[in-house]
Amino acid sequence: MDNNSCESSRLKCLFLSWPASPSARLLTSVLPHHQLLLPPLSPLTIPCRTKIQRDYRRPGQPIENKYPLNFNFSKGIEGIKKHFTLMKDEFFGRWVGPEGKPLIEHILEQNLVIWKFRGPESLEQWTVSSDQEIGGQSEAHLKMGRNDNTCFLHGKLSSTIPRDGETRYSGYCNMRSKTPKASFDRKKHYDWSSFNTLHLRVRGDGRPWMINIATETYFSHQKDDIYNYFLYTRGGPYWQEVKIPFSKFFLSHRGRIQDSQHPIWLDKVNTIGFTLGDKADGHFQLEVDFVAVSKDYAHTEEFAYEMYERNPKRERIE
Amino acid sequence: MKCARCLLQLQGLQLQGLQLQGLRLQGLQLQGLQLQGLRLQGLQLQGLQLQGLQLQGLQLQGLQLQGLQGQSARSAAQRGALLQSSSQPHMLRNTQHQVIRRFHRSPINDKNQPIPAEFIDEDDNKKDKSLVIHDDLFEQVARETKTKATFNKVVEVFIKQDVRRRGHVEFIYAALQKMPEFGVERDLAVYNKLLDVFPKEVFVPRNFIQIMFNHYPRQQECGVQLLEQMEGYGIMPDVDTKVLLIQIFGVKGHPVRKYQRILYWFPKFKHTNPYPIPKNLPEDPVDLARFSLARIADDRDAKVTVYQLPCTDITESGEEITLPHVVGIQSPSQMELLAQHNPSRPVFVEGPFPLWLRDQCVYYYVLRADPVPPEEKVEEPYDPERSLAYPLQLDLDLDRDLGDEESFDVEDLDEGAVFAMCMTSQGDQAVLNQWVSGLQQNNPILGRVPTLFRLEQGPRELQGAHKTKSDHQHRPDPQTQREEEEDDEVSVEEEPRRSQEMKQ
Repeated sequence: MDNNSCESSRLKCLFLSWPASPSARLLTSVLPHHQLLLPPLSPLTIPCRTKIQRDYRRPGQPIENKYPLNFNFSKGIEGIKKHFTLMKDEFFGRWVGPEGKPLIEHILEQNLVIWKFRGPESLEQWTVSSDQEIGGQSEAHLKMGRNDNTCFLHGKLSSTIPRDGETRYSGYCNMRSKTPKASFDRKKHYDWSSFNTLHLRVRGDGRPWMINIATETYFSHQKDDIYNYFLYTRGGPYWQEVKIPFSKFFLSHRGRIQDSQHPIWLDKVNTIGFTLGDKADGHFQLEVDFVAVSKDYAHTEEFAYEMYERNPKRERIE
Repeated sequence: MKCARCLLQLQGLQLQGLQLQGLRLQGLQLQGLQLQGLRLQGLQLQGLQLQGLQLQGLQLQGLQLQGLQGQSARSAAQRGALLQSSSQPHMLRNTQHQVIRRFHRSPINDKNQPIPAEFIDEDDNKKDKSLVIHDDLFEQVARETKTKATFNKVVEVFIKQDVRRRGHVEFIYAALQKMPEFGVERDLAVYNKLLDVFPKEVFVPRNFIQIMFNHYPRQQECGVQLLEQMEGYGIMPDVDTKVLLIQIFGVKGHPVRKYQRILYWFPKFKHTNPYPIPKNLPEDPVDLARFSLARIADDRDAKVTVYQLPCTDITESGEEITLPHVVGIQSPSQMELLAQHNPSRPVFVEGPFPLWLRDQCVYYYVLRADPVPPEEKVEEPYDPERSLAYPLQLDLDLDRDLGDEESFDVEDLDEGAVFAMCMTSQGDQAVLNQWVSGLQQNNPILGRVPTLFRLEQGPRELQGAHKTKSDHQHRPDPQTQREEEEDDEVSVEEEPRRSQEMKQ
């Protein structure tokens, strides 16, 4: 399976630790040939936008700036066609309503199916990764379910630690959706602000998974901020409907649950992912029928965890 | 070499592999002496002058030094090479296992000397210059007696050896790694005992600068790692743990903060599993099959039937035949579905499918049918007499708005109905035939329906409609009831099984 991913979530369990890495995001994008005029800086200051989805880069390693050097004419034509079609749809969609839907639908809709796997092209929207990126031996593959109506993620976990002297835990795999793109590869976000529950229909094999939602962040330190919750599968031949309100998602950064918690902001959601990292070595499988969001009027909880300040500054008594 | 008293002058002498026993040297002058692999036993040196002496891998036992002048004597003591001075009055001596203390010397020299606190055997003279690894302490415990008691004993030995607990960080890291071998990784008392290895009150920061600058960072990291291993195994720490942590690291350090985080988040996530697995799963395969079948059936009314208990028979020829257990489950709604099944369409026995219970995988088999094509679907109206308390079907003209639609805009997956599940240790066709004939007692339709087996060697995905081969190979012959021999091997392709009389 194609492993192009931009920082896909690598969570073995909640409590992984990763070495810190500075991010290389600049506010202006400079064309690469200008770079040669500047004295060679450290590779981390390559002036390019990280909108190009690359393979996993281990934190601390230099970014390889590989632009596609082979120019394919027909691919170029196809790309132009695709982007202009998207742009045209967006332009005319605005006259219909926000996000191409009539306004009344956008406001009132109660259930919205985001991903459904009907056909092999739906698998293109997902990226599968495993701990082979860091040198482990787990495998994960994604394919269509038998009747072409579901996606089937399967593979084998192995928690042998890669012997590079700094990794402590291993044995995970992950399936993450790709960031939605507008025309000309601009960033687009999902707007789920009118919903409050995540609704999935899955069929697992009894293993506990974790759902990760990544939102759009402003500061580079927040790049690996992910909101998580557990997905416990029952196993068995029957499908399982899972409803998780968004108020239950807790914040974690690089796999470490954070002290100061806040509810997830749903107006700019980028990706959703499923991770398996229970320490049971062996094969696994997960079938997903659809992923949807819905508005549950009966659910009134705003946030499930306390938001008081965890590390209060001590009051100085003068 | 036996030398009596004489004024011996040795200059530039190199002694290798020398053994001196019962030597008396008086007025000895040694300059530029190199001694390697020297063993001196029962040596008496009087008025010795040593200049520029290098001693490597030296063993001195029962040495008496009087009036010794040592000038720039550097001794690189390594593993298996311990210096002992008879001038120490409180020396421990043991013929077999000598626990030998180091010299009391100035701390400046301590940098060159890694920590030699361990047992030595007299045969075990390791003179290699590798890093000191405390795994050896645990390795020396005999292979067959790796229990909690021996683990505790090793920890106690370490604690008693040195009041300053030199090398406790490495020791604790080694101990954490060795815990699974001794089987104590889920034991809170052992973790508390391991925390006890840390010297108390030494690492507690005393002012705000020390707090700010990560006082004793290595020890704090070690404490955090200990707690992280506890957390990884899901062990909730104790009030003893808290007291120990506060005594060792103080309230303001990372370990106590980690402990607080564990205590905050663990209770929140303890009961999040809607399908919890008990901590101690049953070990008996039949009980385990019961539990897992009840779990996957998702129906409280489903009934578990044990068709065969595991037993080992000895036939007349003296062979041992192990009969596997066969446990099946079926719920009343599944029985109804099976009763409504069209007898001309086959049913399939599929498997094995995996089911994970924490870290154990069990396999189950499924009796199911292909989905009914839409032209054959019969929509039976609800029988109003089925439930007299409330109507099952309401024809209300609800004025539902766009915002009130409660169903998703997804087509329903049409997968075939599942009629029963079973679990067995040996999933070949003979055993599954047993199961199906056991099912036939409650579902007489199985006597008329052809049953096809779709078994695979390894675990396999649950599939929906399998549209390809089954219709070709299936030869419906519901009227005749001929017995057919069954193959005992596991077959990948489907094999038709004639409907049979019930097995006696």
